[in-house]
Amino acid sequence: MNQILSAVRSSFRARTVAASLLLATALPLAAIAAPEGELRIAVGADATTFHPHVNSLPVGNTVDGLVFQQLFRIDADNKVVPALATDYGWSEDGMTFTVSFETGHSFTNGRPVNAEAVAASFNQLLDPDSGSIYAGLYASLGKAEAQGEDTVVFHMAEPNGHVLMLLANSAAGIIDTEANAEMGAEYGRKPVGSGPYMVEEFIGGERFTLVPNPDYKGARPATLERVTFMAVPEDGSRMALLETGEVDIVDRVPAESIPTIDALDSASVILPDSMFSISMEMVLRGPLEDKRVREALNISIDRDGMVQGILGGLGTPSQGQVGPGTEDALRVTFEPKPYDPERAKALLAEAGFGPDSPLELRVNCPNGRYIKDSQVCQALTGQWQAIGVKATPNVLDLPSWSAAHQVPIEERSYDMSMIGRATAGIDFTVYRLFRSGVSANTTGFNNARVDSLLAEGRATTDLEEQKKIYAEIQQIVWDEMPFVFLWYQKQAIGIADTVTGFTIRPDETMLFDTVQVSVDG
Amino acid sequence: MFILRRFAVAIPTLFVVSLLAFWFVDLIPGDPALHLAGNMATEDELADIRHHLGLDRPPLERYMLFLRGVVDPEIATSFRTSRPVVLEITERMPKTLIIAIGGLVIGLAFGVVTGVICALRQGGWFDAVVTVLTLAGISMPIYWLGLLCIWLFAVNLGWLPAAGAATPAHYVLPVLVVATRPAALFSRLVTANLLEVMGKDYLDTARSKGLSEHVVILRHALRNSLIAAVSVAGVQFGGMLGGSVVTETVFGVPGLGRLLVSAVSSSDYPVIQYSVLMFAVFFVLINLATDLLGQWLDPRTRDYTAA
Repeated sequence: MNQILSAVRSSFRARTVAASLLLATALPLAAIAAPEGELRIAVGADATTFHPHVNSLPVGNTVDGLVFQQLFRIDADNKVVPALATDYGWSEDGMTFTVSFETGHSFTNGRPVNAEAVAASFNQLLDPDSGSIYAGLYASLGKAEAQGEDTVVFHMAEPNGHVLMLLANSAAGIIDTEANAEMGAEYGRKPVGSGPYMVEEFIGGERFTLVPNPDYKGARPATLERVTFMAVPEDGSRMALLETGEVDIVDRVPAESIPTIDALDSASVILPDSMFSISMEMVLRGPLEDKRVREALNISIDRDGMVQGILGGLGTPSQGQVGPGTEDALRVTFEPKPYDPERAKALLAEAGFGPDSPLELRVNCPNGRYIKDSQVCQALTGQWQAIGVKATPNVLDLPSWSAAHQVPIEERSYDMSMIGRATAGIDFTVYRLFRSGVSANTTGFNNARVDSLLAEGRATTDLEEQKKIYAEIQQIVWDEMPFVFLWYQKQAIGIADTVTGFTIRPDETMLFDTVQVSVDG
Repeated sequence: MFILRRFAVAIPTLFVVSLLAFWFVDLIPGDPALHLAGNMATEDELADIRHHLGLDRPPLERYMLFLRGVVDPEIATSFRTSRPVVLEITERMPKTLIIAIGGLVIGLAFGVVTGVICALRQGGWFDAVVTVLTLAGISMPIYWLGLLCIWLFAVNLGWLPAAGAATPAHYVLPVLVVATRPAALFSRLVTANLLEVMGKDYLDTARSKGLSEHVVILRHALRNSLIAAVSVAGVQFGGMLGGSVVTETVFGVPGLGRLLVSAVSSSDYPVIQYSVLMFAVFFVLINLATDLLGQWLDPRTRDYTAA
C-alpha cells in the first residue's frame, strides 16, 4: 500500500524493516495479552469535551492520549519520545521543521492517517476561527503542509527550538478533520481518532466509557476491555465509591480521607508529584520593587509547617518556580527558601519599614481553586504580621480573583495573589510569566538579561545550549523573587489493590499503557 | 380562557426574567475566554477566543441573539462544549425531574398519611414520634443528610450505590433524601389544618346527614385542609428544582443543578442564562398548576365569569 511508496527513502526503509521485525516478534505476545477486565475511575471534574483543540482538563488529556495518536508523546518518565514520528529535522535557517511518520494507521471510520490528514489536523489547531484555544500557543508552527504520504512539513512563523514539546502535548493529537466537520460539536464527545481506545458512550456530567479500538495496530495496544469514568464532584461521595468497591481509582483524595482509605483492606493512596507550582505572585510596584522586601517575605514563612499542618502533607516546598515534570530536561532545582524570621525583620528594617511605618500588603486568594487555598491565605498573613507587616487576607470567589489579575498593574487593588501554574514546557512557562511586555506576565517582571536569554533560547535547537540558557533564567527568577514561592502540590490518588501498572504524570494525565485489573481481589 | 389569560400574563414576567438573566450574568466579573484559555494566555489569544464566542459584539446585539436563541438552538450554544444549550438541558432534565417529582410524591404521601393520623390521635405515641421526625426533617440540611445516608446505606450496609445515576437503584437515596423536607412540612401542615377544620359546623352537618366518620374526614375535612398543602407543594417543587444543585452534587447525579453549578464555575454564560430562563418557565407552569388544583379543590376560587 502506501508504505511501498514511502519506503523509497533509505533511512525510512531501515526503520520499516526494523519495525516489522519487532512487530513479528511482538505479535504472539499481543495475541496472548488480549484486553481484559474493566477499570472504573471516579474523578472530581466534569469532562466537557475531548476535542484536543478545546479541552483544558487533565481528564480530557488522559482520554485524548488514549483516543488519538500523536507524532510525539510524553512518556511515564516525562520525557518527550517519538510516537508515530520516525524521523525529523530542521532546515538550515530553522524556519522549516519536517517530520516523517509511520503510516498504515487509520481512524476508526476507516480514513487513513496520512500526511494530508496530519497536516489538516495541525492547520485546524492553528486556526483560531475553528474555536481552537491553543492557536496562540502553537502559533510558531506557522502552517503545516503534506509532503507525499508520510511526511508533514511545518513552515514556521518564527524559529522555535521547543517544537517537540509542543508536538508531544495532547493538544497535538491527530484528529480526523473531515469527521469533525461532519459531526460538529458532537466530535468532542465521540471523537474519531486512531489511538488504542475509542469512546463508546458519553453521558454528560455522569460517565463515559472507553473500549479498545479493534483496528489499532500501534505499539501500545489496549490492555483493558473497558474503562469507565464517573464524574462525582463531592469528595465524600467519591471516596465512598472506592470504599464500597464501586470504582477502582479515585482522584483528588482530600487530606482528611487519606488515613481512612489507607485503612481499607482493598485500597490505598498514592501521592505522586504534581507540576502545579503554587506561589504568591507579587505586583512589582512601590515597596515590592525593593528586592530586600521580596526576600523578607520569602524567608518569613514556615513552608514545611504549612504543608504538614494545613495541606495535610499534600505538598513539597518549592525548589524553583517551575514544578516537577515541567520538561525535566531543562528544569533546574535550588535549595528551598529558608525560614528565618529574624533576618526577614532585619531586611525590612534595612528597607525602611518598622513598627512606626509598617509595610502594608493586600493578599488575594481564591476560594476552592488550590488545596486549602483560603486557609493558607490566613496562615501566610499571620506569619507576615508576626514580622511586623500589616498583611490583610482577601479571599475571593474564583471569577473575581481571576478578573483581578487582568487589570493594568497601576490599577491593581492588591499587592500579591495566590496563583498556581502548571504547563508542559519550560520555555512556555518562563516566556509567558517573565518576558517583559507579555500580557500573561501579570507581575510586571522586567529583566533585560532574562529577555535576551529567552530570545536566544527560542532561536537555538541545540539541547545543551538550551539547558544552559534556561538554567540561567530559572536562577535569575529564583534570586529575584518576583513571587513568594510556596510549594508544589501533590496529587492524592486512591487505588484498589486489584489494579497494577497504573501511572499518573505530574501534569495529572493518567497513563494506561500497562494497566491490568485482576478479577479476584 | 383562564389558562390562556395566565399565559398572556406570564409573557411579561418571562421577558423581565430574560432581561435579568442576560444582564446579570453579563455583569459577573470574570471572562469566559480567560477561563477557556487558562491563566497563561496572552491578550491577543483571549481576543481571538472572545471573537469566536461572539463576546466582542455590542451588548444589545448579544441580547437580541440571546432572545433569538430561545427559538433557534443553533445560535444558543455552550461556550465549553459548543453543543446547543437545549441539548445539554434536555439530556439532564429527566434526572432532575425524577428526583424532584419522586421526592415530592413520596413526601406528600407520607405527609398526608401521618398528618391525618396525628390529627385523629392527638397526644398519642405516634404523634410524638412523627413530631420528632418532622422536626428533624425540617431542620436537617439536605447536604449533611445525604452524606449520612451514603455512609449508612452504601458504605456500611452496602444496600445501595453511593453515587451515580446509571440504574434506578442510584435514584433511591437522592429521592428519599429530597423527600424528607416536604414530608415533614406536609405532615405538620395537614395536622394543623385538619385540627382547625375539625370543629367547624359543616362537618357536623355532614355527620348529621348520616355520613360515616371516614367519609366526613376524607371527603370533607381533608379536602379542605389540602388547599393550603397544594399551594405549599407548588412552592416546594420550585424549591426542589433549586435544591437540586445540592442533591445532585452530593449524589453525583448529572442533572440540571449540576449543569448550572459547573456552568457558573466555568463562566459558560449561555448555559447559565438559558437554564435560569428555563427555571423561570418552570415556576410559571408550577404556579399555574397549583392554581388550577386549588380551584378544583375549592370551588369558591373559581372564576365563573371566564368559564
